[in-house]
Amino acid sequence: MSSKKRNVYIVGIGIISPLGYGLDATEQALRKNESAIAPLHVFSIQQPPPLPVGQVQNLPDVTTFPRTHCLAITAARQAMEGCTHPPDAVIIGSTTGGILTTEELLAAQDQDAHNYRYHGLTTVAEEVAREVQCSGQALTVSTACSSGTVAIGMALKMLQSGKAEWILAGGVDSLCHLTYFGFHSLQLVDPHGSRPFDKNRQGMSVAEGAAMLLLSTIKPKNPLGQILGCGLSCDAYHPASPHPEGKGASRAMQKALDSAALKAEAIDYINLHGTGTIENDRAESKAVRSIFPQPPPLSSIKGATGHGLAASGAIEAAIAAICLQKGFIPANTGCRQPDPECQLTPILHPDDLPIATVLSNSFGFGGNNACLVIAQPDLFSSPEPAGQSRPLTLLGKACITGAGHTQQSMERFSQRETMAGTVDLETISEQLPVRKVRRLKRFSRIALALADAARKDSGLDHSPHCVFMGSGWGSLSETYDFLDKLQQSQEQFPSPIDFVGSVHNSAAGQIAIMHEATGANITSSGGDYSFEQALLAADTFLDRDDSSNSAFVLAADEAHTQFSPLLDPSIQPAAPLADGGGCLYLCRQAMPGKLSLQLTFFRKKTNTVIDELITASGGKETLQRNCRMILAGIPAAEAKEGQAQLDSFLEKSGLTIPVIPYREFTGEFASASAVAAVMAVHLMESAEIPAGKKILVLGFGMNVTCMEFWRQ
Amino acid sequence: MDNLTEELKKRLIEILNLTDVTPEEFDENAQLVGGELGIDSIDVLEIVVMVEKDYGVIINNKEIAEKVFSSLSSLADYIRKNSPK
Repeated sequence: MSSKKRNVYIVGIGIISPLGYGLDATEQALRKNESAIAPLHVFSIQQPPPLPVGQVQNLPDVTTFPRTHCLAITAARQAMEGCTHPPDAVIIGSTTGGILTTEELLAAQDQDAHNYRYHGLTTVAEEVAREVQCSGQALTVSTACSSGTVAIGMALKMLQSGKAEWILAGGVDSLCHLTYFGFHSLQLVDPHGSRPFDKNRQGMSVAEGAAMLLLSTIKPKNPLGQILGCGLSCDAYHPASPHPEGKGASRAMQKALDSAALKAEAIDYINLHGTGTIENDRAESKAVRSIFPQPPPLSSIKGATGHGLAASGAIEAAIAAICLQKGFIPANTGCRQPDPECQLTPILHPDDLPIATVLSNSFGFGGNNACLVIAQPDLFSSPEPAGQSRPLTLLGKACITGAGHTQQSMERFSQRETMAGTVDLETISEQLPVRKVRRLKRFSRIALALADAARKDSGLDHSPHCVFMGSGWGSLSETYDFLDKLQQSQEQFPSPIDFVGSVHNSAAGQIAIMHEATGANITSSGGDYSFEQALLAADTFLDRDDSSNSAFVLAADEAHTQFSPLLDPSIQPAAPLADGGGCLYLCRQAMPGKLSLQLTFFRKKTNTVIDELITASGGKETLQRNCRMILAGIPAAEAKEGQAQLDSFLEKSGLTIPVIPYREFTGEFASASAVAAVMAVHLMESAEIPAGKKILVLGFGMNVTCMEFWRQ
Repeated sequence: MDNLTEELKKRLIEILNLTDVTPEEFDENAQLVGGELGIDSIDVLEIVVMVEKDYGVIINNKEIAEKVFSSLSSLADYIRKNSPK
């Protein structure tokens, strides 16, 4: 095996689901072929009878952290058992973060912002990273029901590229009012419990759980499996329904096979997404049949576990490892009479069969599809990784601030006047088709307007294939309105439209639909570093060997009168709100005269982080030779620490160049760094900065980040 | 033109945010779902919630729903026939 090829081994697994704790309990439960789906009791509801759900029993310590965090931390401890080496990065897929706690606080009209501190998706990854003593990157992806799979896929790509040697990746979600009532409002819940692929199926069962995989390119003594490939795609079809022909799903399966360098015949077992909804199972069947004319044994385990949303893909990756190790295929629990329309016959009874390869499917709202190929260790080796890392090239840019769109914003910035504030919804939407955005509230409209403007700014008549979006807080309006209507109506009349819009990745899904972007579509969330996380995801997934590949990389946040002051610690009570975002249209292809950019640094704060930043930037001399200007982001909540970090950087690097504290111009909001990226581009274009000389956009506080901009 | 039809036009414009449509332009006999207004399955579910909340009429059967949502006037008919009042 050439030293360049990096096999990615599963070193440890943590799994918690309605089936139990750990691999052994999970296997035993699956062998019994019994459903763990039962009437809801995790929280009380006002309108009985409770619907059947998949819930985790006896979860320890749910007082310090929200339920999601407890699930994640417990699974992380399991995965790390016996491993003394902290991972270089943690990647968590989650859709709702600490929302169960937030729901309780809102119902009690609690106005103490401190109590909402674990609401953000990013806090799950941060607490897991703290638990496993990871001082690298704590990353979060939120692509609805494919989140856990995307997290593992991202880990695979980062490990294969040599960016890390150890990554803990997985997915988690707890039951909460938002998803329990939300899926019910969409009439997607089977009142008898989920029975995927059954002729009489009526829907899914919302569930909870967590699974974490410790992955490494360093082969352990007893690897539990090897992650061979990952395929992502976006339906770009509908916010909540799969493409009826399963087109996006089959693309993701094919990409996963391609990236594993395997043919369809080489797959021994398919773990289906199989939620039990009429549409998913039908579309997935078509997709599977299009790739596998004679499908191998296949089953969905969601009739046993329920649908653990962001956790499901990670839970099923863990179960794939059980299948490989034990030569065991779990049954499609709950299915009595396979639906003849699906033309698929899932395994109806658990079976013992040697298995070398598993394809695991996950599909989600927003048309976000992700598939993994997992195999016996060392039967196959990972394909040769693509050549050296190359910077990204800028094709177009756009921002929205309190001043308005890009032009108005940059005019203000040129005068060194503040852009902070909240521009009205009409101005945001002025270039968007009225009918197509009628259901979308502020957050999604900002995102759509940014993508539209960045495409126009590029002067190109085609849009990119991929979307990498960051947001600190996601769709606050829809989330708030959904929970508000739910409470006002004594839990009788939740809004289906608000539920669909509340999903973190709904905006990126809308961008995909509007721009027919059928490639990878990832929504990241990283508090004040959400744009940097989106850029990191883009850098990971925009394949180096495919120079035609391009993407919108953007971040946006909306100001929300009730939510923002409670959630964002940088917003002082009663202070005027600010929001907006920025979007860059990027490709891998080098183009003379165009601007280049690269995320060169992203780490959690430590005592040595500034030294590491300087090293990663090429050292003191290189910095002094190349850097002409710094845009520094210091969130108000981290003013003291952030300023100290900046001062230390300037002192240690010996740089005496202009420093623009960009939040003074953008105002305080999580995606301010996306606007800063556009400010950097504006400065590159307007200030006379010679070719090769750089502007740095630095982020300080809980994380230290660096984006470099220069002209080729 | 009866009051319920007119009322429903206003309610639908409001809950589906059809800002570019006036009640006068809303043709109660035109195809409601998949028609010119771009109303889809998610909108139908929102209307189902509204009809139950405001008129006490439950629509939870696919076959019935298909007929009921063929046009705004058929929706009005269904509400009139099944309203608990």
